[in-house]
Amino acid sequence: MATQIVMDHTGHTRHCFNPNDAQALASAEKRFMELTGLGFTAAVRKGPNEIVKVRSFDLTAEETLFFPRLVGG
Amino acid sequence: MAGASSRIIAVGELYRKFANENTREARGLRLLLDWLSPDQREQLDNFGYFEVLGCASRKRYRIYHVKFAPNVYEIDSVGRLKEGVCFLPAGSLVTGDVMLAQKIALETDEHRAIAVANRFSPARDWPRMLAREAISGRSRMDAMNRCH
Repeated sequence: MATQIVMDHTGHTRHCFNPNDAQALASAEKRFMELTGLGFTAAVRKGPNEIVKVRSFDLTAEETLFFPRLVGG
Repeated sequence: MAGASSRIIAVGELYRKFANENTREARGLRLLLDWLSPDQREQLDNFGYFEVLGCASRKRYRIYHVKFAPNVYEIDSVGRLKEGVCFLPAGSLVTGDVMLAQKIALETDEHRAIAVANRFSPARDWPRMLAREAISGRSRMDAMNRCH
């Protein structure tokens, strides 16, 4: 199972999907496009010390984390 | 009677444990801990903050586990607070989520984070105040870990 984790007011929301299911994959890609379109940043963990920002849907990512756009404090 | 009473106490304890694990703050902290590198997690456990390396400038930043902003500081070569950089993700997010977004932003897109940040000189008494707040944050994290 793959997971998209979206930060929100509840702490975060997890959307799990089967990457081998074409319909689930399409829904996950749609969610990715919607969130990044709203200004969310998407990040994928590549190892214990490496996180990369992704600009397009990563089919192979086990976990993708989304956080809202940054603002000055 | 004694058996029923002990069952009630046990259920109460289970409920409190469950509630604690499912609070927004606890969930945010668990997500943060999950995404920190082993070194950063150790720093947070020991000091109530962790450090990140800016992906573009290679400057070091310290992110404190405190509930108030600003909590991100550029630090000098000996670990003194050099400049505050105040930025955070938009919306109402819990502390762990805010810290995780700040870490990822500095490690993957430092220019953008710094571009939106308000910068300021830390007041002289801030290191002491931050340390005090971070320690209380550490206590919260310890309590969460005990329940985990």
